Amino acid sequence: MSRVRLSRWLIAVPMSLLALATIYPLLFTANVAMKTRRDYILDRFSLTDALRWENIDTAWNSVGMGRYFVNSLLVVTSSVVLLLLLGSMAGFALSQLRFRGSSALFLGCLAGLFVPFQVIMVPLARIMADTALIDTYPGLVLVYVAQFLPFTIFLMTSYYRSIPPEIIDAARIDGNSVYGVYRRIMLPLGTPALLSVGILNALFCWNDVLMALVMMPSADHRTLMVGVTSLRGQYSDDIPTFASGVLIAAIPVLLVYLFLQRQIADGVAAGSTKG
Amino acid sequence: MPIGNAQPSVRPAPAGRTGPARGGLSTERAGNRARRSRGGARAERFAPYILVAPAVLIIVALRLYPLILGVNFSFTGDGVRNGLAVGLDNYRELFHDPLFRTALGNVGLLVLLLPVAVAIPGLLATFIYLRVPGHRFYRGVYFFPAVLSPVIVGAIFNLLLAFDGPLNAVLASVGVRPVDWLGDPDVAMFMVVGVHVWATFGMALVVFLAGFATLDAALLDAARVDGASLPQVIWHVIVPGLSRTIQFVFVTTLIGMLTSMFGLLFVMTSGGPEGSTYLPEYYIWIQQGQMNRPALASAASTILFVIMIVVGLLQIKLLKRAGRED
Repeated sequence: MSRVRLSRWLIAVPMSLLALATIYPLLFTANVAMKTRRDYILDRFSLTDALRWENIDTAWNSVGMGRYFVNSLLVVTSSVVLLLLLGSMAGFALSQLRFRGSSALFLGCLAGLFVPFQVIMVPLARIMADTALIDTYPGLVLVYVAQFLPFTIFLMTSYYRSIPPEIIDAARIDGNSVYGVYRRIMLPLGTPALLSVGILNALFCWNDVLMALVMMPSADHRTLMVGVTSLRGQYSDDIPTFASGVLIAAIPVLLVYLFLQRQIADGVAAGSTKG
Repeated sequence: MPIGNAQPSVRPAPAGRTGPARGGLSTERAGNRARRSRGGARAERFAPYILVAPAVLIIVALRLYPLILGVNFSFTGDGVRNGLAVGLDNYRELFHDPLFRTALGNVGLLVLLLPVAVAIPGLLATFIYLRVPGHRFYRGVYFFPAVLSPVIVGAIFNLLLAFDGPLNAVLASVGVRPVDWLGDPDVAMFMVVGVHVWATFGMALVVFLAGFATLDAALLDAARVDGASLPQVIWHVIVPGLSRTIQFVFVTTLIGMLTSMFGLLFVMTSGGPEGSTYLPEYYIWIQQGQMNRPALASAASTILFVIMIVVGLLQIKLLKRAGRED
C-alpha cells in the first residue's frame, strides 16, 4: 500500500510541473504588463517592483483596445442572446412537439455541425457583401449565430428531451398556447442548459478571430481579438504595451473561468456524451 | 463539436414513456382539449414550424447554401476569367502550388502527431481519475488555456519564443545556443503544433473525465486486487472501457487541428518562415483575402471539406463497429 502511495506522489511531481507550465505564461505576461520598457529589457523575469497601470492605460486608450473591447462586448452579447433564443425555440419544438418533418429538420440543423467556417468562407463573404451586411455588426452577429446555432440546437434539444411531457400536457390543459408553454415552462426549466450553452457560446464568439477578420475589414469595427493581432506589428518593440493589450483581452475570460468553470466543463462534457 | 455522435438523438422521442402521454404532445390533440377557436387551432398547428423556422432559415442560408455555392465557385475562374467555367483548373493549380502542398504535408504531420495529442490528455485524465494528490487543482488549471483564444495564446508565446525572448535567455544561462523557434523552417511548425496541444489538451481532458464517469469502478478495483500494475490497468481495463471516448477525442482533436489553428498561425508565424507553417485554413484565408483569388480559395475549401467528411465518416464507421461490439 505504501508503495502505491509513493508512486502516486511521484506522479504528482510532473503533474505539478505541468500545472505550472500551464499558468506561468499568463502570469509572465501579466508581470511584463506592469513593468517599464527599461525594466523588461534589463531583466525579463524579475517581479515588477510596482503595479504600474500606465501600459494598460496606453493599450486601452492610445492603442484602441478600449474601443475594440466595447465592439466585442456588443457583438458577443447580441450573438449569445440570439443564439439562446433561437436555439431554445428550435430545441423545444424538436424535442417535445410532434410535427411532420421534425426529424428531417433536426438532421438539417445538425448537418451544420459538419460545415466549418473555413469551408464556406468565400461564398459567405460574398453573400454578406451582396446583402450589404459585410463590415456591419448585424452581419458579424448573423455569422456567429449561423456558426454556433447547430451546436446550440443540439444541446438544447437533448436537454429538453429529458423534461417529462406530462409537465407540458398539464400546462396545455391549463389553457397555455404552445408559445405560452415555451415562455412559462420551457425557458425557466431550461435555465441550467441555457447558462452552460450561453457561456460556451460567449467564449466561442469572444475568442474568434477568423470570422471577425473576414467579415469586419475596417479598423474601426475591429473586435478585441483582431485588435490583439494588430498589436504584433505595431508594438513588437514595446513589449510591456503589447503584453498589456494581451492581458486586457485575457482578463474577461479569466474572470468567467474562475467563476463559471463548472458550467463550462459541463457544457463541454455534455457536448461529448449527449446523444 | 459533437460530430458523428448524434446518431441516437435522431429518434424523435425518447423511449420508455408510459401512459396517456406516450409519443409526446400532439399539438392538434392538445389544441382541441383546450377548446380553442378554429383560427387559434390553426395557429397552434403551425406553432412548431414557427418556432423552428428562424433557426432553420439561418442554418440553410448561411451554412448549407454557401457550401453548395462554394463548390460551384471552385469550378469557375478568378480575375479576367471571373464567372467562367474552367473545369478542374483551380484544382490543378492547387496541386502545383508549393504552398498548398506544404499545407497538405502539414496536415499529414498533424495526423502523425495525433496519437500524442490524444495520449497526453488521456494519461493525465487517468491520473486525475485515480485521485493523484491534488487532482482537483490539476483539473482546474489544465483546462484554463482551453478557454483562451488562440490569438491570446499565440501572442503570449510570440513573446516567450522570440529570438531575443525569455526562453532563449533561460537557455543561454545554461549554456545552450539560442534557437530561432519561430524563424527556423524546420522548427516553427513543431512549435505551433506544440503550442496548440498545450492550449487544447484541457478540452480533451474534460471529455476523457466525462468518459471515466461512465466507467465501471468495480473493474478497476478487481484489477487492483489482482495485483495489476498501472500500465496493465490502463491497457486492459481503461482503454477498452473508454473506446468510444477515445475515438471521439481522436476525431475532435483532428478537427480542432484542421479548423482552429488559424489564430495561432496568424499571430505566431503568419505562415512563415518560407511558408513552412501553412495549413489549408491559412491558405484559404490568404488566397481569399490577400491574393484576391476567391475561386482558388473555394477549391482549397472544397478539399478541406472532403478531408473533414472522410474524418467524419471514419468516426461514424468506428462508432458503428463499437456499437456492434457492445
